[in-house]
Amino acid sequence: MFKYILEGAGNINWMAIASLLTFMAVFIISAAMAFRSQPAFIEKMANLPLDDSTPSFNAENDQHEK
Amino acid sequence: MAQVEQFQYDNAIVRKFAYATMVFGAVGILVGLLAALQLVFPALNFGTAETTFGRIRPLHTNAAIFAFVGNGIFMGVYYSLQRLLKTNMYSKFLNEFNFWGWQAIILAAAITLPLGITSSHEYAELEWPIDLAIAAVWVAFGVNMFGTILKRRENHLYVAIWFYIATWVTITVLHIGNNLEIPVSMWKSYPVFAGVQDALIQWWYGHNAVAFFLTTPYLGLMYYFLPKAANRPVYSYKLSIIHFWALIFIYIWAGPHHLLYTSLPDWAQSLGTVFSIMLIAPSWGGMLNGLLTLRGAWDRVRQDPILKFMVVAVTAYGMATFEGPMLSIKSVNAISHFTDWTIGHVHIGTLGWNGFMTFGVLYWLIPKMFQTKLYSQKLANAHFWIGTLGIMFYSIPLYWAGWTQSLMWKQFTPDGFLQYGNFLETVTQIIPMYALRAVGGTLYVVGYFVMLYNLVKTIKAGSFQAYEPAQAPARVATAGAHKGEHWHRWIERRPIQLLIGSTIAILIGGMVELFPMIMIGDQIPKIESVKPYTALELQGRDLYIREGCISCHTQMVRPFRSETERYGEYSKSGEFIYDRPFLWGSKRTGPDLHRLGNKYPDSWHYNHMLDPTSMSPGSIMPVYPWLIEDDLDNSLLPVKIAVLRTLGTPYEEGYEEAAIADAEKQAAEVTARLRKDGIEDENLEQKEIIALIAYLQRLGTDIKPVPQAGN
Repeated sequence: MFKYILEGAGNINWMAIASLLTFMAVFIISAAMAFRSQPAFIEKMANLPLDDSTPSFNAENDQHEK
Repeated sequence: MAQVEQFQYDNAIVRKFAYATMVFGAVGILVGLLAALQLVFPALNFGTAETTFGRIRPLHTNAAIFAFVGNGIFMGVYYSLQRLLKTNMYSKFLNEFNFWGWQAIILAAAITLPLGITSSHEYAELEWPIDLAIAAVWVAFGVNMFGTILKRRENHLYVAIWFYIATWVTITVLHIGNNLEIPVSMWKSYPVFAGVQDALIQWWYGHNAVAFFLTTPYLGLMYYFLPKAANRPVYSYKLSIIHFWALIFIYIWAGPHHLLYTSLPDWAQSLGTVFSIMLIAPSWGGMLNGLLTLRGAWDRVRQDPILKFMVVAVTAYGMATFEGPMLSIKSVNAISHFTDWTIGHVHIGTLGWNGFMTFGVLYWLIPKMFQTKLYSQKLANAHFWIGTLGIMFYSIPLYWAGWTQSLMWKQFTPDGFLQYGNFLETVTQIIPMYALRAVGGTLYVVGYFVMLYNLVKTIKAGSFQAYEPAQAPARVATAGAHKGEHWHRWIERRPIQLLIGSTIAILIGGMVELFPMIMIGDQIPKIESVKPYTALELQGRDLYIREGCISCHTQMVRPFRSETERYGEYSKSGEFIYDRPFLWGSKRTGPDLHRLGNKYPDSWHYNHMLDPTSMSPGSIMPVYPWLIEDDLDNSLLPVKIAVLRTLGTPYEEGYEEAAIADAEKQAAEVTARLRKDGIEDENLEQKEIIALIAYLQRLGTDIKPVPQAGN
């Protein structure tokens, strides 16, 4: 059935190929950029959840450090 | 240095969602336990329509997914979003609208599903007015989230927020795509697409509902709450970037693995399989990132029940995302599909990943918001072990049951006949496994109530801080990219661009899957002998939908010798062109019904629906006495015919006026055959059972012309 539909839909092979290439491009670019990031920036981002900016959190953290 | 600003985090809305999560988790798993027990003790269907398995099962799945996990998502997002962005939520009104709107939707689902009001699309069963309400609440949530992002004090968006954004945009697209339907009445509609098209769009939705409702938002929660609970940053932030882009791009492609060996073309099936296998890489990247966050802190995992829950949750995520791709391999799928293996697989995900992650977050969040310690670490530890055992007792028997049953379905004698020709033999064989599964479910429920007790005691001992004071420097917006700044850092500051990027990523896969469907137009290959349902058959079909028969019966004979031998000719796509909605199903607790028509006399169906064990001793199918007691309501029939004609079903002009008379004429014929077999009920021709019999006798007969039943 789908052979029939796909013939009717025209040449759409390029969609699958273009999508795969797009995925490879997204993957390679994001991997390359992730590994080229500045360490200070990555560390800041990784620590974002740990900073609530609340007094109670800071007090807890102080205790923890002691 | 920007001026430091004082503000407050809104914990009140988080508490509301936390309470809703706790309550609906209990409801979801209790209803699930009832469904599990019904398969062992059919008497627990109670002989009433509202409590029968076919209606209880969608109630369970909707409660677990949208009520429990849904509220869990909102709880986690509302808590973490404020803190990651150093601001309170954008709008208190939208907070309340989101909360009360979502609970109203859950209430509507809890009422309509037991009443048999369903579209029959799995995990999208709710009818059109509720679909509209879901859209309104989801948009409100999105506006609130983006409003909060825009007023943030933190320049960069942490990876958890990317997952929230991807969740929002994808669920929006999926919800609209899978709920295109034309109303017949307030509580009945027909989908725009039919048959194969409807199936593909449903499983594009169904698979990605798992991906973008049960997975991506919870990955966001993992990236926030696991570092919080462990008090250490995520193992690799770089890995999280790759995890995000790879996962959202690949996930959307994998839907066709739900339709292997159906009418889908080979290339599409292969595409679904390949992308499903590729999914292992980002999924395991995310899992390892979560587990390695605990490097050097495993001694704390031994002590801390919160970390224990999170470790098992992340491990269950890893197991489920390994198993999923394996089940997508065609040769494995040939064995696993339609069996309890799938049920075991999804429960590793829901009980393990979603359940345990939610428990970990609740155990961390409730004491924090109530400024106290958890009432009992011992009880939390007990919950952990009971729950873990519960998951194992749940899943392992179902894996066993799935293998056993599938192998029995496929077993031939040396002479070339099916060894277990009676489907029921393959059901009774695995009932002990169903019983063990119910034991597992019971353990999980017990653990859950231990948690509820522990949390309620914690809440009572604590003092709730509705608005938590905080301070942060005002955000200094940076226009344009800095010299030497790479694109990802740039995009992290720009939520709208991130939204657009995520949308493009998910749409590419979706488009390739759906493009042939959209282009199909009038080119559907027709089989000349396939005709629209008669008025009475249509009514019967809607009863089949109402009773949720699809929960246990498929209508898709796959092209295997073991299936064609058992059921008859394999299903052709051209046979489904008038099926709105498609009813292929996804699980065979009972046999496939696509070639049921004319297999048994009408009286067999009558007696079978009244008491299945009278025709099939040992059957676990529920009884349906109300079908024999209740009169068929034909009042909507003319509108149904008109709507279906609008959608392309070739009913003759004016047939709607004649439809009721036509239905009555066919009902009289069915009744006459029943009377001939000695069924003497009064007003039999007016009963619902007559319409259902008419539909069941029609199934699969368009390409299987045989003499009239009963002759």
